[in-house]
Amino acid sequence: MARRGARHALPPSKRIMLGLLLGGLLFFGLGACGLVVAAGKPGKPATPVHAPQAMLPVPKGKRAPVPVPAADDQAAIPVSITIPVIDVRSRLLHLGQTKSGALQTPPVTTVAGWFTGSPRPGDIGSSVIIGHVDSVQGPGIFFRLRLMRPGERVYVRQASGRVAVFRVTGVRQYLKASFPASAVYGGTPTAQLRLITCGGHFDQATGHYLSNVVVYATLIH
Amino acid sequence: MTRSRIARLAAATGLAIGTALLAGPAASASSGTGWIRLAHLSPNTPAVDVYLYSFHHARAKIVLHHVAYGTVSPYEAIPAGEYTVAMRAANAPARSKPVLSTNVDVLAHKAYTVAGLGPFKGLRLGILHDRLGTPKGKALVRVIQASLQQHTISVRAGGHVIARRLHFGRTTRYHAVPAGSLDVRAAGSSENTTLDVPLAAGTVHTLVVLDDPGRLQIDDLTDSAGSQVTVAPATGLGGTAPKPGAPMLPWLVVAAGGLLVTAGGIRVYRIRGRALRTP
Repeated sequence: MARRGARHALPPSKRIMLGLLLGGLLFFGLGACGLVVAAGKPGKPATPVHAPQAMLPVPKGKRAPVPVPAADDQAAIPVSITIPVIDVRSRLLHLGQTKSGALQTPPVTTVAGWFTGSPRPGDIGSSVIIGHVDSVQGPGIFFRLRLMRPGERVYVRQASGRVAVFRVTGVRQYLKASFPASAVYGGTPTAQLRLITCGGHFDQATGHYLSNVVVYATLIH
Repeated sequence: MTRSRIARLAAATGLAIGTALLAGPAASASSGTGWIRLAHLSPNTPAVDVYLYSFHHARAKIVLHHVAYGTVSPYEAIPAGEYTVAMRAANAPARSKPVLSTNVDVLAHKAYTVAGLGPFKGLRLGILHDRLGTPKGKALVRVIQASLQQHTISVRAGGHVIARRLHFGRTTRYHAVPAGSLDVRAAGSSENTTLDVPLAAGTVHTLVVLDDPGRLQIDDLTDSAGSQVTVAPATGLGGTAPKPGAPMLPWLVVAAGGLLVTAGGIRVYRIRGRALRTP
């Protein structure tokens, strides 16, 4: 009698055991599902796509003449930069240095900036223009910088209305830990441009990229 | 006066280089490239044509036509290697024997000024090694004495003596001076002149003292300019970087825990069941 009754209403000890059994299976299933989902979602970097040629029109304006080594022929301050091949068009912020000596970076990721401690674009020397590769959400103004190739053109409009035209001579990626500061920022005897952004691996722990991408360009007119 | 000469020379350089460098390799800041500029700094020497040849090449790489006293060309980027600089009288045939010539060994990442120096009778081509970098927070300044009328000159930049009784045709070494705008004063025996020169940190200048018929004149040449930053900028927030894989460990613990509990449950069920069947 007692056994038949037990079939209809399990004793409390059996109910607990069955609960444990089912609960355990449930958790195991949950864990297994979680593992499958976690393993099946490897992170993928967003890959920049090279914009079609001449996506942006070449800026209009008087082109700068061949530079002459004279102090009073200083270029006017730069106001904007256009790089048709990678679809960049941006006004130029003025960037200084932080107290620790680091370069200021643009407060927004969609605008590039000229480092005022470097020569003006078009003047003798290595002029530095900086832009973000990305924000926390997506691409920044210099997202496609690393796709540039020697021979491509960079246009910098000056406050005078003149447009200084630069030709890319090299594209390099350097680890920040061994950044060749003198090659990038150091003195040059001709008018040159350095376009700088970040690249390489992103360190999630520090929130910084481990490398920099530098585009070297030289004034052609 | 010097200004118009420089403008003319710039135009000539542009033309000459436009044609001469078409076939040459692209100038690159990061490969084996050096720089050279050419100057005429001999007051009583008539205008000349200046030729730059890659060593053993008959065709000139750069030709500057009708270069008069006081002109200095912009720097030209050229592949590192041996070059010959030759001067001929203005409009002399390109195949005629040069008045003067010299060989220059151009090293990668180095800059040179090749200048006609001294009086006409003792004209020589001087090869000057130009600096590209400066000590931190400083500018570099040197003086070329190209005034024949004032045979010796002294030059001060602010309170700094750059040249002391420097003889005609001579050049000083570079002097480091604090960055800032400096009053430069050049004084000969009977003439003197001043020029306000902006000397930004990281810039290298050559001051050329010239005869501007009857007067002394200072020409400020920028040899190089850069900035003095040592760190790489942080220009990315990671929005396009690979996301880290989702963490596995918590799920592993849950699954293992579940498995343990299930196994435990089964075991307890069996023991209890056996106990119930055998009273």
